[in-house]
Amino acid sequence: MPDIVVAEALTKTFGTLRAVDEVSFTVRRGEIFGFLGPNGAGKTTTINLLTTLMKPTSGRGMVAGFDVQREPQKVRERIGVLFQDLTLDRELTGWENLWIHGLIYGVPRGILKNRIRELLAFVELEDWAGSQVKKYSGGMQRRLQIAAALLHRPEILFLDEPTLGLDPQTRAHIWDYILSLQRNEKVTVFLTTHYMDEAERLCHRTAIIDHGRIIALGSPEELKRALGSEVVYVQLASKSLQETGRMAESLKACGEFSRVHVVRPGEISVSASRAPEAIPKIFEKAEDLTVKIREVTYHMPTLEDVFLHLTGRKLRDEEVSGMEAVRIRHRWR
Amino acid sequence: MVNPASAAYVMWYRQVKRFIRTRSRLVGAILQPIFWMIFLGLGFTSALKGAPVFGGIDYLTFFTPGVVVMAVFFTAFFSGISVIWDREFGFLKEILVAPASRTATIAGRILGDVTISMLQGVIVLTIAFLMVPNLRLLGVPLVLVAVFFTALQFTGLGIALASKLKSFEGFQLVNMLIAMPIFFLSGAFYPVNALPAPASIIAYLNPLVYGVDLSRTALTGAGFLPLTSAFAALAASSLFLLVVAVWGFKKATAE
Repeated sequence: MPDIVVAEALTKTFGTLRAVDEVSFTVRRGEIFGFLGPNGAGKTTTINLLTTLMKPTSGRGMVAGFDVQREPQKVRERIGVLFQDLTLDRELTGWENLWIHGLIYGVPRGILKNRIRELLAFVELEDWAGSQVKKYSGGMQRRLQIAAALLHRPEILFLDEPTLGLDPQTRAHIWDYILSLQRNEKVTVFLTTHYMDEAERLCHRTAIIDHGRIIALGSPEELKRALGSEVVYVQLASKSLQETGRMAESLKACGEFSRVHVVRPGEISVSASRAPEAIPKIFEKAEDLTVKIREVTYHMPTLEDVFLHLTGRKLRDEEVSGMEAVRIRHRWR
Repeated sequence: MVNPASAAYVMWYRQVKRFIRTRSRLVGAILQPIFWMIFLGLGFTSALKGAPVFGGIDYLTFFTPGVVVMAVFFTAFFSGISVIWDREFGFLKEILVAPASRTATIAGRILGDVTISMLQGVIVLTIAFLMVPNLRLLGVPLVLVAVFFTALQFTGLGIALASKLKSFEGFQLVNMLIAMPIFFLSGAFYPVNALPAPASIIAYLNPLVYGVDLSRTALTGAGFLPLTSAFAALAASSLFLLVVAVWGFKKATAE
């Protein structure tokens, strides 16, 4: 079966900003495909392009066999979208919102009522069907939106940051929905996230995107394996940049480690095939340089490490700017 | 294929549901025209007793048909322009990625706004008949025609403007620069044909003038335009504004 999404050098520019920069990838039918990247990396713009909300500046996008630019109507009939912001009518009830959604998405009126009942049960909102959406919590609103996105049985579901701003329990809950959707309903899922745990937990394949470009693509395991099997974090007693640099140089020079990276002054990460053997060597080097080590920890690599390795930066999920936080709160009030 | 009739119906349903749901709008819809008629209508009636410019009728009787049409104007214009709020609160995206044809969804929305505006018109008209003794009951069907076209054209104007405006900061500006001049130059407060040349020319370009005049002719016989010209102007401007609204909405994007 052909791939359900094919992006070929997809590009979107806003003035001089290349928000999406010659992005190429494919999504296979039935998989959960993730776009992992920091805020502003171009994830939402990619979704806007693939869901026909924006026209690409250049390049081509095919969704469910149709060109997003030439046959947007055909694409719209086959996709479901969960936007980052609430797109439901807050003044209306959950049931009324689904009724509206169903009819503008072409669900025949005869079967719509049953479908709404089914989906309200699926997202466990039957008891809230008659309440106005503005009385729902953030997690409930998100669940109702998932129900809406599924009403017309789309072939592929686009989820833009499905758990942004939700508490841990609600996030886990939403993850369960997404997994059961993919398993039981055979819906292909394309999701964006800046939470690496979300990508690891859900995605069969993940593209890491930064500054509008895909910098790595593969299953989370493949991506992590590329780093070597374990990551050792070395904390030095001193936070001197110079000392940290000398230590890093010396570790690189010994040629035993696939990757050495200065995280910040006083902190170095090292990839090693076997951490327990690497640690004594790290201490030896430190001794040679008379550098004092405060602490050494090691763990299996995460996608966070992959991102750090590829970009030299952390996935700044803790650094949601003040404005952004205000915006998110405003939207999910 | 999405059935265009279903899509149009459900957009109508949404507008009407929202109107019924927001009680404050209904209460405002009833109180505002009463205040107009009492504080302005009765006030000027005694202040301007015997003034010849009002076609030989008292000020309250002159003013009341205008109150009905103005109420419809405000409801229609602000419902149409609430597309801005839909953009701000995300609902517009839902519509824009829907496979339903945009012509169908916007037509449904317009019909919904026209329905609630007419509902408003009927409420005010009823109050008017209870408060003002000299109105002609026989004029009611013609007033409804005026109300219908007024609702249609200002919903259209609201949607056309909202499709262009990217934020609701622009909303205040639209209110000041468009809604207020239309409102004050509508002929509801004073006869605009009596104005000096530049102002009366502007008044003739104001689509609200024709609805007000048609209603005044119907309810009091004191309009200044022949029925047929008022009606023709109304129909023409409605058609024009509708086309602009549909065209604007079809080109609307989510950002």
